[in-house]
Amino acid sequence: MYLGLKEMRHEKLRYSLLSGVLLLIALVVFMLAGLANGLSNGNRQAVDQWHATTVYLNKNANQTLSASQLTLADKKHLQGTKIAPLSNLSGTLRTSNNQLKTTASAFGTSRNSFLMPTVTSGHRINGKNQLLISAALKDQGYHLGQKVRIGTTKKTVKIVGTYAASTYSIAPTVYTDTATLNRLKGSPVTSGQQQPINAFVTKRSHFKTSKHGNLQRMSINTFIDNLPGYSAEQLTLNTMIYFLFVIALAVIGIFMFVLTLQKQALFGVLKVQGIGTSHIIAALLTQSIAMALIGIGLGLAITVGLAQIMPAGLPFVINWQAFGIYSLALLGAAVIGALLSWRTVAKIDPVVAIG
Amino acid sequence: MSTAVLALQHINKQFGHGHTAVTALNDANFEVNAGEFVAIIGPSGSGKSTFLTIAAGLQTPTSGQVLLNGQALTKQSEKERLAYRFNEIGFILQSSNLIPFLTVTEQFKLVDKMAHRPFQQSAALELLNELALSDVKNAYPNELSGGERQRVAIARALYNDPSVILADEPTASLDTPRSIDVVQRLAAEAHQHNKAIVMVTHDQRLISHCDVVYRIEDGNMTRDNTATAQ
Ligand SMILES: Nc1ncnc2c1ncn2[C@@H]1O[C@H](COP(=O)(O)OP(=O)(O)O)[C@@H](O)[C@H]1O
Ligand SMILES: [Mg+2]
Repeated sequence: MYLGLKEMRHEKLRYSLLSGVLLLIALVVFMLAGLANGLSNGNRQAVDQWHATTVYLNKNANQTLSASQLTLADKKHLQGTKIAPLSNLSGTLRTSNNQLKTTASAFGTSRNSFLMPTVTSGHRINGKNQLLISAALKDQGYHLGQKVRIGTTKKTVKIVGTYAASTYSIAPTVYTDTATLNRLKGSPVTSGQQQPINAFVTKRSHFKTSKHGNLQRMSINTFIDNLPGYSAEQLTLNTMIYFLFVIALAVIGIFMFVLTLQKQALFGVLKVQGIGTSHIIAALLTQSIAMALIGIGLGLAITVGLAQIMPAGLPFVINWQAFGIYSLALLGAAVIGALLSWRTVAKIDPVVAIG
Repeated sequence: MSTAVLALQHINKQFGHGHTAVTALNDANFEVNAGEFVAIIGPSGSGKSTFLTIAAGLQTPTSGQVLLNGQALTKQSEKERLAYRFNEIGFILQSSNLIPFLTVTEQFKLVDKMAHRPFQQSAALELLNELALSDVKNAYPNELSGGERQRVAIARALYNDPSVILADEPTASLDTPRSIDVVQRLAAEAHQHNKAIVMVTHDQRLISHCDVVYRIEDGNMTRDNTATAQ
């Protein structure tokens, strides 16, 4: 500790340079993590809000909601609690005079379904052609009582309630009942058990018998992983983050190794005086951990600062749990980076310091 | 029984095997008592550094034994040898053995940190005063003159209160007046603090300040009872 910190104090420039490099790496890690989290949220926030465990799609739909075609009658194959039908329509939400236009993800489900969001203003859906909108849409100027269109039809629905922020496929969500959504979709059947839907979403359920038509059961996590673009996006960003850990490890490892080579004579003298390898390694560890903590701390502070001034369109959301894990990973890289010089330090022979 | 602080008995040290073998020390016998300032003098390549490394437990002799306060150092682990060097031996090396990023006072503090004890401020100030270093106690080694650096090295070696101080050509990088100053101070410290101090050198002019002189040539060590005035 003492040796390591005193050397850093005496060689401020040298050690601030590495802290600065680690700061930049940490900053990029946190920015990417924030974006990954923001994009993840944008894709799946609505799904998370369902608090569901299981989804049933058409087995030929390749696990994709929009490609899955079922009917309400398929419910006969299922048994369990809280089984809700789900229909989805992605399209442009607009006022009848076209003054407001927004891409939105519309969901249809039964009026008393557990998927229906909790209304924060207005009322629940209690009749035909009613719509609930999420907070972001309200912020854009959509309001209770307004008539709006979704997609390409001329049919209108009336906004009767609003609820918390909710997104799906990077678009704010709206909810209506199954029949209304079918009307908006232009479906030929808009009432009764033969109405088309995309999925059943449930809390706890199973197939009644081994014969279950063309239904396929999957966990909510499998469903999320198969959201369009979701896995590819997350994999891309996470791979970049993992590469940054490797880069951090290499930068710290090389830096500490070069310094160790430069200080071999000094370390030899220390060993002559009875200050051994373990004390020298402790000093190297102190230094790399201190530099990593400075870099991570400043990186976090700057990330939080930038998050305040980021344009609203940027899908950036701070996730403290992920930031904590990535900070620990960077710290781990610093520890391993310093330990890479262990052999070199251990091999320094104090005899060469004499004579 | 010997009362020597440090004694080397029948020490042989060979490097290599067969006809390429080099005998660096040949049946060397040596001892130093508390309060004695001993010089080992010999030309380059005669075995002086080999002698010091064996006395310090940095190398093991091919045969013979090293006794510290009557106890043989044999078959110690690396950790025990580190502890031996840290606790029992004070080193003064040719050029500076000071740590470049610690001030003079911090060189002492490091010793205390390693020994897990608080800074011995009064002991440090006393030593600095004795060695005329009070004005530079907050200076870094690169801000000191060569003579000051070696005086700090002496103070640091004494600070941990070792049984014996080993000095390897401590005046090699100094001019004559400063060399004599350093040697006089070593002699004074040996006598005042009742320390055993061993100095290796090839400089004949310095031996008049020593209590005992050993000569070494081609690995053969002899005590020279005619060298000193006493
Ligand atoms: N590690 C070693 N390997 C081989 N020969 C050595 C080694 N160390 C010292 N020697 C030889 O031992 C002799 C004594 O060396 P040394 O003790 O360094 O002498 P001095 O310090 O008096 O100049 C020299 O001939 C030297 O070449
Ligand atoms: Mg030598």
